[in-house]
Amino acid sequence: MLIPGVTALLSFMYSRNILRFSVSSNLRNSCWQSFNMMPPLDVLSDLPKSVIDEVLMRLSLQDAVRTSILSKKWRYNWCTLPQLKLDQTLWKTTKDLTCFTSNFTKIIYHVLTLHEGPITQFTLSIPHLEGCPNFDNLIYFLSRNGIQHLVLELQGGNLYTLPSSFFTCSQMRHLSLKNCLIRPPPVFKGFERLISLKLNRVTISSELLGSLISHSPLLENLVLQYSDISNPVEISAPKLRSFVFIGNIHFIRLKYVPLLSKVSYEPRAFSVEAEHDLAKIFESIPAIEHLCWNLQYVKARNAGPVEFIPTRLLSAFNCLKRLYVSWICLREFFELSIALCLIRSSPYLEEIEIETCDTEGGKYYEPVPCGVVDEIPASFSDMTFNYLRTVKLRHVTGIGPEMQLIKVLLAKSPALLRMVIDPEVGEDKKSLKVLAEITKFQRASSKAEVVYNVD
Amino acid sequence: MAEAASSTIEKNNLTLKSSYGDEFVLEESIAIQSVTIKNMVEDGCSSSVIPLSKVDTGTLIKVIEYMKMHSSTSSNEEEIQNFDKEFVRISIKTILNILEAANFLDIRSLLDLCAEAVANRIKNKTPEVVRKIFNITSDFTPEEEAEIRNETPWAFEGDLDHSLD
Repeated sequence: MLIPGVTALLSFMYSRNILRFSVSSNLRNSCWQSFNMMPPLDVLSDLPKSVIDEVLMRLSLQDAVRTSILSKKWRYNWCTLPQLKLDQTLWKTTKDLTCFTSNFTKIIYHVLTLHEGPITQFTLSIPHLEGCPNFDNLIYFLSRNGIQHLVLELQGGNLYTLPSSFFTCSQMRHLSLKNCLIRPPPVFKGFERLISLKLNRVTISSELLGSLISHSPLLENLVLQYSDISNPVEISAPKLRSFVFIGNIHFIRLKYVPLLSKVSYEPRAFSVEAEHDLAKIFESIPAIEHLCWNLQYVKARNAGPVEFIPTRLLSAFNCLKRLYVSWICLREFFELSIALCLIRSSPYLEEIEIETCDTEGGKYYEPVPCGVVDEIPASFSDMTFNYLRTVKLRHVTGIGPEMQLIKVLLAKSPALLRMVIDPEVGEDKKSLKVLAEITKFQRASSKAEVVYNVD
Repeated sequence: MAEAASSTIEKNNLTLKSSYGDEFVLEESIAIQSVTIKNMVEDGCSSSVIPLSKVDTGTLIKVIEYMKMHSSTSSNEEEIQNFDKEFVRISIKTILNILEAANFLDIRSLLDLCAEAVANRIKNKTPEVVRKIFNITSDFTPEEEAEIRNETPWAFEGDLDHSLD
């Protein structure tokens, strides 16, 4: 007797078999038929075009175009792809690079002549090159084919000046540019459907950048990296949620960003010249929940007197849940004061991560005075971190300010679950001593687990 | 038995029926990750058995395994990522069946996962190897093949992978 499942399986195979043979009648298949066996099924080629597109869109242009030789069914599959990606996989060897410009021109010509239908997403990411090839034809082509998502990441060489056709891409929703120059015609105001904008080493006037942002009412994500801005930029973006900035922070004026919740700053120039200067940077971000601050280029020597760093900011970070500070030297009085000020101003923190570093050669502009280190716990006496659950400290060497900070956070955080401490590499001898001291600290949370990572 | 059956109905369970006729009972909250099933539930077609005539039993078992993991509240992001990685470590034939099912059932994240797995078997490989992996029979004459290669020579240059992995 046959088990029902097996019967079903056999009948299914039989039905697929019949189906297969009714549509193809070449010699190979009839051989299979005479043995009453099923040929290996080509499931991929029979998938709906939309599913084949999903696969092809995950390939580089070179891989996608190569599928045209698989069989007649595949001949023109790539030609109607709405998303194309040209990246460094096309130019792997230096030999490829030397004939890059001529090759590139050929590739663009083929795309322009063979492709049909809309191209909504186009990525061009090319490695270092000397003379910049001309992308104007490509941009013109894209502007006429409904481009919504454009990534133009160029490297090295001269800045590429975007052609006038670029400014007519009215469907643009996601734009990422690297090493470009934006000089629009006077009538250009912005892309009114833009959701995300990333500019990396892009030359653009401050007025135009401000105008571009304020004419993008849907803008949610903004990334400005190393872009050449020489005047203050006013940013008004009612839907902005995430802002990443590397550059001179004093040129950024956040005017109206009611929903901005994620901020990542890496100031290339930073100084405080008056008491409220630090507060000014954050006062216009009422909804801030995540703050990443990289202090690598903040130098105590020219950042201003430590007296201008307040104990806490005038208006507290009442929404801040996650604080991540990196490249901070806690031996330097100025930097320690910034860290303490930010922590004291954030009573609702859930997660703190601090990645410390030491100055080169161990020279400090103004080392933290001993009296200040001892007073750190007292300066937190009026607060508790009722929501703090995770603390991570990296490159810990066991110096006074670090130990006091660990002590205060353990004592003031009743909901703490985990404190992870990564000691600085090569500090093995000190590690045991540091660990022994930490175990003595009082913990407000009975559930707090201290993880001390020693290899 | 009868009691157990009635209590499962109260929990808003759905019965999915594979193309082989095998039935699987699944919580509605898990099953509606499939937009196709969600639409059927919203249109009131879910009181009886939902027939999935395009999904065989083996594929349906995998799809249910995926949906259960992705609706579990107890697993964190890392666990889900590891699950996904392991999930596609199966034969290409099975991946293609799941891809087809994910498209029919409209489960976006599963479609993405399988499309990526299929693309990984095409990336940087010679056309001959891709044909072998996917059982694609070339119906071009050698002359036609040469013509295609000539059309976009840059797509066929470089060190292409000859392995079947």
